[in-house]
Amino acid sequence: MPFIGLGWDDVLFLLFATIMIVASLAVVTMRDIIRCGLALMVALGAVAGMFVLLGAPLVAAAEVLVYIGGITVLILFAIMLTQSKAAPARLVFQTQAVPAAIAAIVFAIIIAITVTATDWGAVTSRLETATDALARLLFRDYVLPFEIVSVLLLAAVIGGVFLARREGGDPS
Amino acid sequence: METLIPLIAALPLGGFAFTALFGRRLGKRAFVVPVLAVVASWLIAMVVVYGALTGQEPFGEHGVGVHLWTWIPAGAFQVDFGFFVDNLTACLLIVVTTIGMLVHIYSIGYMSHDRGYWRFFAYLNLFMFSMLLLVLADNFLLVFAGWELVGLSSYLLIGFWYGRRSAALAAKKAFIVNRVGDVGFALGIMAIWVNLGTLNIREVLERIGTLDHTTVTIIALLVFAGAVGKSAQFPLHVWLPDAMEGPTPVSALIHAATMVNAGVYLIARTNPIFAHAPEAMVFVAAIGIFTAILAASIAFTQTDIKRVLAYSTLSQLGYMFAALGVGAWTAAIFHLMTHGFFKGLLFLDSGSVIHAVDGEQDMRRMGGLKNKIPITYATMFIGSVAISGIPPLAGFFSKDEILGEAFKNGFVLVWAIGLLVAGMTAFYMFRLMGLTFWGKSRVDPEVEPHIHESPPSMTIPLILLAIPTLFIGLVLGWPLGGGLLKTWLEPVFQDAVELAARPETAFTFMGIDGALVIASVAVAAIGIVFAWALFGVEFLGIRRAGNPDRVRALAARVPFLYRASLNKWWFDELYDLLFIRIGGRVAASMWWFDRAIVDGTVNGIGALTADAGRGLRRVQTGRVQNYALGIAIGLIVMAGGYLVIAGR
Amino acid sequence: MSNSLDAYLVLAGIIFAIGTFGFLARRNAISMLMSIELMLNAVNLAIIAFGSFVQSLQGASSVIALVVMAVAAAEATVGLAIVIAIYRNRRTPLVDEYDTLRQ
Repeated sequence: MPFIGLGWDDVLFLLFATIMIVASLAVVTMRDIIRCGLALMVALGAVAGMFVLLGAPLVAAAEVLVYIGGITVLILFAIMLTQSKAAPARLVFQTQAVPAAIAAIVFAIIIAITVTATDWGAVTSRLETATDALARLLFRDYVLPFEIVSVLLLAAVIGGVFLARREGGDPS
Repeated sequence: METLIPLIAALPLGGFAFTALFGRRLGKRAFVVPVLAVVASWLIAMVVVYGALTGQEPFGEHGVGVHLWTWIPAGAFQVDFGFFVDNLTACLLIVVTTIGMLVHIYSIGYMSHDRGYWRFFAYLNLFMFSMLLLVLADNFLLVFAGWELVGLSSYLLIGFWYGRRSAALAAKKAFIVNRVGDVGFALGIMAIWVNLGTLNIREVLERIGTLDHTTVTIIALLVFAGAVGKSAQFPLHVWLPDAMEGPTPVSALIHAATMVNAGVYLIARTNPIFAHAPEAMVFVAAIGIFTAILAASIAFTQTDIKRVLAYSTLSQLGYMFAALGVGAWTAAIFHLMTHGFFKGLLFLDSGSVIHAVDGEQDMRRMGGLKNKIPITYATMFIGSVAISGIPPLAGFFSKDEILGEAFKNGFVLVWAIGLLVAGMTAFYMFRLMGLTFWGKSRVDPEVEPHIHESPPSMTIPLILLAIPTLFIGLVLGWPLGGGLLKTWLEPVFQDAVELAARPETAFTFMGIDGALVIASVAVAAIGIVFAWALFGVEFLGIRRAGNPDRVRALAARVPFLYRASLNKWWFDELYDLLFIRIGGRVAASMWWFDRAIVDGTVNGIGALTADAGRGLRRVQTGRVQNYALGIAIGLIVMAGGYLVIAGR
Repeated sequence: MSNSLDAYLVLAGIIFAIGTFGFLARRNAISMLMSIELMLNAVNLAIIAFGSFVQSLQGASSVIALVVMAVAAAEATVGLAIVIAIYRNRRTPLVDEYDTLRQ
């Protein structure tokens, strides 16, 4: 059922895009850092929705599981561990916030111009990736990167545990 | 003969070296080696002179050169160490070696009480060597070396009594004023080198005709600048009177007979250069005659016996330069020779007088010395008559020839002023005689009983000098208008005379020449009579007392002229103002410029670098986010740049 | 709109810019890490968008996106561990107060 002359796809796209942008702005501007973390969750959810829209359901699922369920939780735990009493009264932004804002806006403009000006050889409708096709790719053509990534994850876990240990965990 | 020529200069050099090294230990006997060296040098010089003037081989008509070694072999710049003797050199050698020898002998007695006896003779020998080097040299650079050495010796000898502040200052003044002239001379030598490519005197004089008129005039003026300094002409005349601070033999040798003649010799030697530049010659004549009258006017009022003689020297040197300027080359050299003898005599005489009155130099405290120091008196009288230009003594011949040539060559103004100066010369010389020897004694009563004649070592040179003073004029200058000296020096000056292209008229005693002779003698006589009227006389039965009241009355009638004369026309004060005060301010401002601007710029660059560094250091905050912002900005700039470029 | 690649790419660019701003401007170290996650997600979005619209990249884009996600996870782990370790020493999570190496 179209909504103001737009198809369902467009409506969903606009919806997810709006949520994404608002949530991201909330992540970078809110004073209370826990609220920032929660806003991050919302933003990542919107991203997952966008993935579904783009025809990559497995990646969307992975997004929800890994990012929202894993990384964001980890961030919230870290926030909890690094809170100090004098939290509310401090400045949110650095002294270089204004130049940073200007740089970010200019950056966005440049990307927008570049991207719209380039011919990507795109087709006019979205393509879908079937899960079994993806699986075949992952475990046949790209099995080496897959294995290396798993080793990387192992190294990261070990490193993280070691770094965050309680008794004199040497940061270097 | 060629081997003898270097010996003339080498012997005094050896004397200097020996005395400088060992003289102190010899005490009273330190004079032996230097005096012997100079006497030997005189003997050899006389042999050489005889050979040159009689035209023997190898001298011929144009002289002979002796090449000793190559001094500076630097590619295109070749300078040799060599000597050159022709008739002009011979005339100079006569004067330099004879008077030098007599002064050395005189000094044996005069300086005998001095602690620096050995030093004095060492310096005297050094001076002899320098002067002989200057006279004998065959290239300009060697002349310049001798020139500078003579200046050095003069400095050492003027400041001989270095403990005396006035002597030290006078020596410094002499050296510095000389230096001013030497700069001109050095520039002249450089100009010669640049334009002619050689410094050998003979080659330069041969080639000088090839240059254009302006260049030759400039070279002539620069060389004359050196002569102005060394021979104390206006405006560099201020050092000579102060140089009287030195011992009297020094004044006699250096500042009457030899060093101051170096300038005259230089111009005579380079006469072709001047002959090609008539404007320069007029300038030389003008400076010369101006100095003559300036100095004579100052001599009128001086009270120090040596100062009177010093100004007299300045005046006579002016005569010589005037002669050179009007083209009377032979007359100038003639006057150089006669003046050397009678001025040397007068100075040594004054030394004898000072010795007699126990060191007093002020003539107002002398008087009536005629019978007490007879030999000194007689010789000084002869000298005074000679300088006044009374025939048949030496001064008459030379002075008359200068004035005659000036008039005949068309320089009537020079002649008129010269005539006036002749009268002035006679006047102040007999003023000196009157104040010193005649009339009542005004000597300090404590000194008066001790007045005595000088020892023979001093009087014999006086007598020996009196002889040429009496006769050299006749020997060299008779008959008038011709004479021995003219024949000797004719080949030296013939180019200059030809270039001047003046009609050669014979000497007519019954015509213009006779009139000029009578005029100069008359003026001299008037001067003498006038001096006798004011200052007294005791001569051949004429007895007249001096009249100090009349002198004062006369002085009161021309107060400005009197004061100007007494204050040497305020030249020293003028130079002090110009160079010491104003020059000092200029120097101070230069120093400010150097400190503030030059150093400031250099230091400023350093400060700028340091401040820039300090400013740039603030980029390194140590904070990662600042660096990340830098990365982001760089990225944006690059991306934007690509966008712009790709978009065209 | 949803059928044009440009829209998705511009959206990804906006999110990336927001993430950059957050990284450069926030004082808290963990905020900086969150901003990094935003940036990585924006990139992922762009990659998936390419895979959806460009024939030759269809399956590979998903693989790339999964690898990126894994790496982001690893990096977040280690980064947070470091922040915790520093916090134990400095007692503050604010990056501009980590200044012992400064002059």
